[in-house]
Amino acid sequence: MITIKEKLPRDSSAPNPAVFRLRDVSCHFESVEAITGLNLEIGRGEKVALVGPSGAGKSTLILLLNGSLAPTQGDVEVFGQSLVRISARQRRPFQRQIGTLYQQFHLVNNLAVIHNINAGRLGSWPLLKSLASLIWPLETQIAAETLAQVGIPEKLYERTATLSGGQQQRVAIARVLVQNPDVILADEPIASIDPERSREVMNLLRDLSGQGKTLIVSLHAIEYAFSHFDRIIGLRAGRLLFDLIPSEVTPAMIQTLYKLT
Amino acid sequence: MRNAALSARRPAFRLRMPPRQLIWVGVAASVIWAAAQANLFSGALINPGGWSLVMRLVDGLLHPNFSPAFLRLTLDSTLITLSYAVLGTFFSLAIGMVGGILSSEVWWQAHGFSQETARPGSIALRFYRRSPWLAARTLLAVPRSLHEIVWGLIFVNIFGLVPLTAIFAIAVPFGAICAKVFSEILDEQPRQPFLAMLNAGAPPLQAFFYALFPSALPNLISYSFYRFECSIRSATVLGIIGAGGLGYQILLSLQSLRYQEFLPMLIALLLLSGLTDVWSSRLRQALGGSTRIEIQTGINHTASNSSIGSTRSAAFLKGSLISILLLTIFALVYLKPDFSSILAPRTTQLLEGILRDSFPPRMPDGGLLYLLRLSGQTLAISILAMAAVGPLAMAAAFVGSGRLRNLGQITATRQSGLSPAAISSYLVRMFFLIARAVPTPIWVLVILFVVFPGILPGAVALALHNWGITGRLMVETVDNMDERPLVALQSLGASPGQIFMYGALPDVFPGFISYIFYRWENCIRETVVIGIVGAGGLGRLLSEQLSNFDYPAITSTLIALILLTILVDLLSSAVRRQYRS
Repeated sequence: MITIKEKLPRDSSAPNPAVFRLRDVSCHFESVEAITGLNLEIGRGEKVALVGPSGAGKSTLILLLNGSLAPTQGDVEVFGQSLVRISARQRRPFQRQIGTLYQQFHLVNNLAVIHNINAGRLGSWPLLKSLASLIWPLETQIAAETLAQVGIPEKLYERTATLSGGQQQRVAIARVLVQNPDVILADEPIASIDPERSREVMNLLRDLSGQGKTLIVSLHAIEYAFSHFDRIIGLRAGRLLFDLIPSEVTPAMIQTLYKLT
Repeated sequence: MRNAALSARRPAFRLRMPPRQLIWVGVAASVIWAAAQANLFSGALINPGGWSLVMRLVDGLLHPNFSPAFLRLTLDSTLITLSYAVLGTFFSLAIGMVGGILSSEVWWQAHGFSQETARPGSIALRFYRRSPWLAARTLLAVPRSLHEIVWGLIFVNIFGLVPLTAIFAIAVPFGAICAKVFSEILDEQPRQPFLAMLNAGAPPLQAFFYALFPSALPNLISYSFYRFECSIRSATVLGIIGAGGLGYQILLSLQSLRYQEFLPMLIALLLLSGLTDVWSSRLRQALGGSTRIEIQTGINHTASNSSIGSTRSAAFLKGSLISILLLTIFALVYLKPDFSSILAPRTTQLLEGILRDSFPPRMPDGGLLYLLRLSGQTLAISILAMAAVGPLAMAAAFVGSGRLRNLGQITATRQSGLSPAAISSYLVRMFFLIARAVPTPIWVLVILFVVFPGILPGAVALALHNWGITGRLMVETVDNMDERPLVALQSLGASPGQIFMYGALPDVFPGFISYIFYRWENCIRETVVIGIVGAGGLGRLLSEQLSNFDYPAITSTLIALILLTILVDLLSSAVRRQYRS
């Protein structure tokens, strides 16, 4: 497997280079402050849980990390490169290394499952191949294996719209898997599924990151933050409340985090 | 919060929404002004001497010429018209696809021109971000504002009377219209999957074909087939500039008083137009059932297309696409258009010559005042026509649908066969088909038998043709109306009239008003066509100037036409926005 150093334009020779570095980042929408004065550094292979009440800025932070959103103030560095000052085209090679699992999946309903999975590889496929694959699906082997890995191998040629919510989420996970990124971001991946499926999805994400991938997941189910991650970041009203390893997080901190004002 | 940021996008230039009362005062004033322009309040309008001609026409219809030789000519003309329409549509879709992508907001957003950001940009920066998008939209507004006939007259001077002229005359304006509609369809698709792919590092073009295009496809196909219906009508009307086909033959028969040839041609025209319409609406049903009004007024672009899954629909869709492919090949073989002449040096020379002669523009002989007066006439024709079409089409649509008579009865017990309701519904639909299949200039010539020349015959012809188009669309809408509220009214004892007033009309009225104003935009373009057969306005001036090769004056007439069209478009879209919200 090629390492990140060979693939990315900028050399980062430090022993454990930071994957993300946020310096004094604020993000406003009109008059709403989603993130205020956030400083953060996340290293390679870390498993980070983002916790906090609704509206704390977790989703905004995920969008800042994958380059969907530019901060109002401050700077977001990915693999040592600021995403703010470069063009969309220059951003792409960095974004290819960041796979995002969205809360609403953001799949294309009209397409067959296989195309939605292959969409994860568009960053590395040339244009003609991508177009040809829409007519005669290409590299079906990899797509089929990945779909089997998430547990629904029989759905490969179904129209995505006909799948249940849980099945669609598996397709979305498969899309991230074939993208084979160094970083996986997930925005509340278990917010709308039953306890049994939740455990499966969380295990799947943890196992993936066992392969040296960085994992950042926003969560409401606080018990998973303790069982599946090695770092917990508490956000409240757009500000950092704590940033600790699980054993240092006390019940009192969690209470303060979710306290109603 | 993210959604709030997304929905903040808005086209840059818009008229402010006028309140509804003001709209109606404006409409009333305009209609009175237009009626005065047409001398409706003074002077003789009807030419009693013309009735003998009408009788001869009726006599010709009753003694049709069905000789084998003439039937062969009819078939040949039909195939020519069909081929023009097929190839015209083909190229307009190609132009529309490229233009649609380039003038869509989402495409430029993907290229970082309007990258989503929480940084508040200055007005200048926001304008800069929108600039390529605005440029593409503006560029496409000009071809759209001239009618196919005008493009035909321009291309005749370059290519001569060859199939290529007719094909391009359809492809250029329709291409620009398709581009506008396609860009709107693309912009209204769910944007998140597209952004998700982009933000996973996919290049914009690839992400476009994997995310936006598949979502938009059912609507794109629906609209393309609707364009094909329009192309058939356009291909017919292009006959009057000598491009051949059914329109040309009917015009020849009329002008040389061979009325016995009228009926076979008319039947061919009705078959061609009717079958295309049926095909197109079946296809739309297979694609999830948006009505024609919805696809044109932009309501419901993101309609669910749940029915694509069914195998029958899928088979019909596939069959239709293969048929279109075969038709395109047939049209190429039948017409043998000489595409090499596009790049021939002679073409470039002629084009250069015409452009050189056309600039700088010069006022027509009567000066600016004359040009303004004719623009006023053109406007009056379109207003009169639409003032007639609106109420007439709405009334006829409810008769034509027959829906209100069969309320609450399940399909099996619905009256069938020759009930009075079924007959009146059938007759109304037949009338709509004849009215829209016969091109406006042919209507003008027939109406001129009994009405003195001037604005009025033009307005009447335009009204007839558009009554057919609009009425059919409205019947379709009434047919697809939600029945439950009407049944509820009926079950509490409301009379059919009350059901109509309280249940049916409020449901469809805003859509209908929207559509009538949209139709007005088409109408103002069509006034040129009736001008060319002598019914006044800028069209007549244009045809005079064209026959004198007075290019500098032609330019100023075209500019006046374009400005008039843009004015009507702005007014109409302001009113339509009011009725959509």
